[in-house]
Parts: sequence; C-alpha cells; structure tokens
Amino acid sequence: MTSNETPYLEQFPGEAKLVKAAFWSSFISLAIGALFGVIQVLHRTDVLRFIDSADYYTVLTIHGVLLVISFTIFFLVGLFTWAITTSLDRPLPSLRFSWGWYGMMVAGMLASAFSMFAGFIDSIDVSASVLFTFYAPLQAHPLYYIGLVTFVVGTWVAGFDWIRTWWGWKQDNPDERIPLPTFMVLTTMIMWYIATLGVAVALLAFILPWSLGLVDSINPTLTRTLFWFFGHPVVYFWLMPAYMMWYIMLPKVAGGKLFSDPLARVVFVLFLVLSVPTGIHHQYLDPGIAEGFKFIAMTNTMFLLLPSFLTAFTVVASMEHGARQRGGTGYLGWLKALPWRDPVFTGMALAGMMFAAAGFSGMINAGMNINYLVHNTFWVVGHFHLTVGTGVALTFMAVSYWFMPQLTGKRLWNRTVALVQVLLWFVGMTLMSNAMHRGGLLGIPRRTAEPQYDGFEFEAGVGSVAELDAQIVIGGILLGLSTALFLAVMIGTVLGPRDDSLPGNNYAETLSGPEDAPLVLDNLKLWTIIAIILVIFAYTLPLLSIISRGGLFGFETGGLPLSISLLGSTIAATFGELLPAAGSVTAPLETAATTLTGIVR
Amino acid sequence: MSSETEPPASSQEAGGGHVDGPIREIGHDEYDPVGTLALIGLYFLILVALWFFMYFVEFIGNDPTVVGSILGGVMVA
Ligand code: HEM
Ligand SMILES: [Cu+2]
Repeated sequence: MTSNETPYLEQFPGEAKLVKAAFWSSFISLAIGALFGVIQVLHRTDVLRFIDSADYYTVLTIHGVLLVISFTIFFLVGLFTWAITTSLDRPLPSLRFSWGWYGMMVAGMLASAFSMFAGFIDSIDVSASVLFTFYAPLQAHPLYYIGLVTFVVGTWVAGFDWIRTWWGWKQDNPDERIPLPTFMVLTTMIMWYIATLGVAVALLAFILPWSLGLVDSINPTLTRTLFWFFGHPVVYFWLMPAYMMWYIMLPKVAGGKLFSDPLARVVFVLFLVLSVPTGIHHQYLDPGIAEGFKFIAMTNTMFLLLPSFLTAFTVVASMEHGARQRGGTGYLGWLKALPWRDPVFTGMALAGMMFAAAGFSGMINAGMNINYLVHNTFWVVGHFHLTVGTGVALTFMAVSYWFMPQLTGKRLWNRTVALVQVLLWFVGMTLMSNAMHRGGLLGIPRRTAEPQYDGFEFEAGVGSVAELDAQIVIGGILLGLSTALFLAVMIGTVLGPRDDSLPGNNYAETLSGPEDAPLVLDNLKLWTIIAIILVIFAYTLPLLSIISRGGLFGFETGGLPLSISLLGSTIAATFGELLPAAGSVTAPLETAATTLTGIVR
Repeated sequence: MSSETEPPASSQEAGGGHVDGPIREIGHDEYDPVGTLALIGLYFLILVALWFFMYFVEFIGNDPTVVGSILGGVMVA
C-alpha cells in the first residue's frame, strides 16, 4: 500500500458513516453487556443481590448475547468494511445495499434483545432465558431464534458485499496479489459461511420448528453438536478482526513494519482450514458421542496451536522491529522503547499478553482428560474473559481510539483517559479472571446465581473463597469503570472539536511482502475445498451416530429406525453413484449403514 | 515496498495511534529478532512450569478425578 495523507472520512465519506454506525451498535451492546456483567459479579458473590435469582439466567443470556454476538460482530462488520475499502482503495459498490445488511443485523438483534428483555416482565408472555448457547431443552420464544437468524443472514450479505467489491477490484487488477487485509477478510468470511451452516440447520430445521410447536421434540445432542459446529469457529470470528489489528495496526503504532506478510497469510489459511472440525472439543463431557470422535477433535485442536504460535512470533517480531527502529536495544531492553503512552499501542499489547496467558488455560481445556477437571466450572469463564473478553474486547477498544477520529474527523478526547481505561481493564481482568480460574479448580460452577450451598464449603488450598470473591468483585467493578471510561472517550470525541491535522488512513507496511508469499496461498478455492473435506471427515460419522442413537427429532416423533435406515441407505446409494468403480468403498459403507440401523434396533 | 519510509508524523495531539518517525530504518536483512526469541522462550518456559504445576493441582490437591480412578482401576486389575 502507499502511504496516504488523507483520513478515512475524506477518502470514503459514505463508508465512514456506515462503519461508524456499526461501531456504535457495537458500543451500545458493550455498555449494556458490561453493566450486566457487574450485576452478575455482585449477585454471584452475594455482595449485592437486587435481582431475583430466578432472573439470573435472563441477565446472563443478555450478557452473553450482547457481548459475544452483538458487540463483537457489529465491530467486525465495521472493521472489515474499513479493511476492504482501504486495502483495495475502492468504495463499496452500493452504499444502499450495504445499509441494507446493516439494517438486517440491527433488526435481528433488536428482535432477539426484545425477547430476552421481555423475560424480566411477567405481563409479556415472551422470554428467551436460554443463554447464548440455547441448549435444548431450554426453549425461547421463536422471536429470539428468528432474530438471531436474521442477524446472521445480515452478516452473510455483508460478506457477499465485501467479496463482490474484491471481484470488481480483481477485474481491474488481474495480476496483483490480494492485499493482506482483504485476504484476511475473505478467509474469515469463507470460514464463517461454513461454520454458520451448522447453527442455521440447528435453528431452522430443529429448534425453531420445535419452539413454534410444529414438532413435539428434538434430539438435544444433535442440536448441541450442530451448535458447537458453529460455536468453535465463532471464536475465530471474534478473534480474526483482533488478529487483523495485531498484524496490520500494531506494527505501525509500534513504529515498525509487519515482519512477514506470507506468515500472516499462512495463519489465516490455517484458521480457515482447521477451525470448524474441532467443535466437538466443547463436548468432551457430552454422553452420546463416542470417545474416538472426541479424540479426533482434540487432535485437530492441538494443530490449531500452530497458527496461534505463528501469530505470537510474527506479532512480537513486528513490535520488536518497531522498538529497534525507535532505538531499542538488548534482549529484553527493547521493550522499554515501545510507545507505552499511546493507548492504541498499550491496549493492544496488553490484550495480546492476556491472550497469551489464556493460551495456558486453553491448553488445559483442550486436553480430553484434564478437561474433566475444569468443565463447566468458573475456570472456563476465567478463560474466555481472557480470550474474547480481553484479547478481543480490549483490542477493539484500543483501536477505536485510532478509528473514531478517522471516522468522524474529530480529535480524540482524551488520550490520558484512554490510557487509564486500557490499564484499568488490564488490572480488573487480571484480578477477576485469575480468581475465576482458581475458583474453577475448587469446583465452583459457572452459570449459577447462588454458588453457596448449605452444609458444604469449597475448600481452597491457597487463600479462601472469600478472598477469591473479593478479587472477583473488585475486578468486576474496575472493569465496569473501564467500560464507562471507554464510552466517555468515545462520546467526548464525537462531541468534541474537529481536528485538521489527523494522520492519514494507513496500515503497516511489511518487511517481507506478498511478493515473497507462494502464489498457492491466494488460491482460496483450494483452501475452501480442503476446509470442507476436513469438516466432512470430522462430522459425518459423529452426526450419523448421534442421529442413529437419538433420532432426528428425538424418540417421540421421529419414527426413528425408519429415518436412520433411510439416511444410511441414501448415503450408501449416493456414494455408490458417485463412485461407480469403487465398489469396494460402497460395500463397507453399506455395512456401516446396516450396523447403524442394527444399533438402533 | 519494504524500503519505503514511514509517512511524516503529524501533531502529537492527534490522539491515539500517533506514530513517530523511526530514529533509524532497519531493513529486512539487517533485522534479527533475538528479543522475540527471548520473549517467546520465556513464555514457553512459563507454559512448561505451569503445566508441571497442574500435575499437583490435579493429582495432589484434589481427590482423584476420572483419570485417577481409571488408573486406580487398572492397577487393581
Ligand atoms: C465489565 C466486564 C465484565 C464482567 C464484570 C463480566 C462478568 C461475567 C461473569 C461473572 C460471568 C459468569 C456468570 C456465571 O457463569 O454465572 C460472565 C459470563 C460471560 N461473559 Fe462476562 N464479564 C465482563 C465482560 C465480558 C466481555 C467483554 C465479554 C465478551 C466480549 C464477556 C463474555 C461473557 C460470556 C460469553 C459469558 C458466558 C455466558 C454464559 O454462560 O452463557 N464478558 N461474565
Ligand atoms: Cu472451541
């Protein structure tokens, strides 16, 4: 890319409005979500209980959905719109169309939010206190699911919008490499299309008909498995925009260049290929899924460590490059030369550090046997407040200090407050998440309004539960404060004076550029096909066996053995047609189908 | 591309993400990320230490969990 003197607002005024709207939708979700987080902290620890414990799930559902669906994804669509237009130096084909997908997402989220909030009001016969995982048999009002589906379809259309912008660019630049930010958007969206198929099927084919009363029952293991088919890759959907910022923004604000464009491409390709066939690692404790399938999911998960470590290396090396260009020396002394007074830098660097710490608890979660120790405990909550709750959330907040002036032409109010904000988040999360991890090791459960039990005490090896609770409460309050400061800076900036000396809309240059990246990396068709094949390998047999044990719609309605033998023979027949020569392949498949049917009978 | 210099830095008050021009330009071939090696090495050591620590949390701090009882079962058998 060329160094450019103009801020984004002047380059793409129409797009800037759209990105700004998406960011504000995101920030509003963050505000409400964080407020509810503080309520949860106070309630669980019995410091202050002003809601009825029966309403705790309603609060927790809103916290989960607003933060990990609305806050993250609205921010993503804004960021990706910026990334596409900036790196291709090209506007979106039709702003009207683009406002259309944004409107869909807003309408969907409002519908879901209405159904969740209605859970507080007894006079409205609508509720959706089913958490963001909506496991059956928890059932929400249909509006909740319809809203979520609409929201997701909105993201599909957004993806199409970015892809067609890239197509247009490709017509005009047939021989150029895909610019890195666009490459990241494209790989992430392909992953998203594959991943959301799972949740779309779960919702449209099973859960929605069931909540509408069209079918009497469903197979909970099946819908859970379809949920996690989506539920693992969705974490990469949160993470990829943060990674994008670490790759293309962090080196720049550190005063250096991205260490390697080819490595960045490899990482995004690996995430595209590997993120879906791992979902079963969230179901290590689910009965009804054979250990062997779980083992395969664990193996795939461990492979995912590879792109994470590649990222750690590339990002740190890029920061070090910046530090040395700024005069830093020594093995660790260069760290002092980094621009720690810049909230954009410091926020992102602390977010990355927290994310690295989460690497450890993630490794524990990922191990099939040791997962038994922490499953569904507070440990897990501690883990993902480091990953999505800090690695992603703090990165988003930090880069907003760069984006908001770019999008509004206003001067950032106020750099010092912004710096305090990111530090507060770091301190608050260190306290809260550390105590959550430790609490989990003692067996304190998650998703519980009153984890205090008559005649039973959690035994702490070190410290005490009271000490953990204190850390959680203090941490939670600091996080609440930090969120408030963040919003104050955003509002103060928008209301403040214009700034005529804004820096141009640039991202990091590279030490080793795309010309060093093998061409095959840009072959998105190839990676898509490989990703789909891996998904088929990882999921066909588990899904068949889940259906054969529990029926497509559970035991009551399904006419179960029939649906299975039908399914089994259809598959055998399809494969038979596809591979006429490979009779040897179809024979075992038919045997497998018969065996499946046999098990059921 | 890799040899281009940073865009001129604008005013200090421009807010977050303001970039100072480099004191010296370091190109691809003269850059040796030893600090990264040191930092990642340190991280790796911490991971290994925590991993060992987890052994104590899992097996000594608590009653045997599923793994423990399976192992116990094998030993009895
Ligand atoms: C003000 C900051 C925050 C506080 C005080 C907070 C507090 C909490 C607490 C105490 C829980 C566990 C409740 C339970 O299991 O009973 C929780 C759950 C959760 N939090 Fe946060 N949180 C904060 C910010 C965030 C952020 C920024 C994110 C993500 C971007 C996030 C995502 C989640 C999710 C996904 C859950 C799990 C919901 C579920 O179990 O269905 N939180 N939070
Ligand atoms: Cu996962």
